[in-house]
Amino acid sequence: MDMPPVNPQPELALLARMRRGDEEAFVALYRKHCDAVYRMALLYCGSTAAAADVTQDTFMHFMTRPDQYDGTRGTVGSWLCGVARNLARKAAGHREEPTDPEALADDTALHDAHIEHETPLERLLADERAEKVRLCLAAIAPHYRDVLILCELSELSYAEAAQLCGIEIGTVRSRLSRARTQLAQHLAREGLLIGRRAAEAP
Amino acid sequence: MNSTTEEILLDSRLHDVKRAIASLHAPASVEAALVASFRDRTRHARRPRLWWIPPLALAATIALVSWMVRGPMTAAPALDAREDPGPFLALRPLERIALEPSTTVVATEFPRALLAEWGLPVSPERAGEPVRAEMLYSADGEPLAIRLVN
Repeated sequence: MDMPPVNPQPELALLARMRRGDEEAFVALYRKHCDAVYRMALLYCGSTAAAADVTQDTFMHFMTRPDQYDGTRGTVGSWLCGVARNLARKAAGHREEPTDPEALADDTALHDAHIEHETPLERLLADERAEKVRLCLAAIAPHYRDVLILCELSELSYAEAAQLCGIEIGTVRSRLSRARTQLAQHLAREGLLIGRRAAEAP
Repeated sequence: MNSTTEEILLDSRLHDVKRAIASLHAPASVEAALVASFRDRTRHARRPRLWWIPPLALAATIALVSWMVRGPMTAAPALDAREDPGPFLALRPLERIALEPSTTVVATEFPRALLAEWGLPVSPERAGEPVRAEMLYSADGEPLAIRLVN
């Protein structure tokens, strides 16, 4: 999803103050981005405890290595999301089968081995239908789920998602399309793609 | 169901997740832990700027004390070598001094007023001050020449 450009100056000013040891600036940056990072980590990890750990590690990384952020390559928010994504994928790594890059070259032919079989058991969302959708999302192939979380649920632009994933924008688009197809299949299997009228019909 | 309807329903389901997840917030304990770490790091970051002061003060103290204790023994010859008091001023005729078979140089200190007896200028205000000098004596103890050290 393409977002309108934001003025980066206030955030860069906060970052400069934070680098000089200004606690208020760090807290302001944390409060601005912590929820987005936590929610993204939740979607990747499927566990509140793991998401809290990932959030803490992300901001610890930010605190200890703020020089790694390059203002010319994106916003602080997207950079933090990138750090959180890497940490969350690492934390969830034991559940995911590694994806063969050759298979990704033609990822229309999705092998069953790339699909995560063990879905998170912790209930995260109070809304029952939303929770079922989340579990369906957790069941699709990791490289498809990746772009779906970044572009659809974390509202990063295609360009930002491409940069975070290290792929071309065209690949982001194609993966997103296939991710939606896979998710739709899972939702249909769970009876979650039925409209209200269709559900009410005899 | 056609693909457009499916797309709309899929967007709707994703929107359900976005709406539900929007009510979730990072635990307050995470912020507390991070702020504590930030304070700790800031405190540590400031410390290295002054870490060298105590060792430097200790080294300076040791150097000063050792110079004070050992300095006079080693510094005196160096001082004498450094200070070139210049030539002797003859107190007797040069022919008389040249004929002297053996002479002795003796470092001494005496009241400045004594210089007047040998015809040397003395300031009345400083007449009472001691003066360091090297005296050239003949073998029988007669002062032949003098040079002032300070």
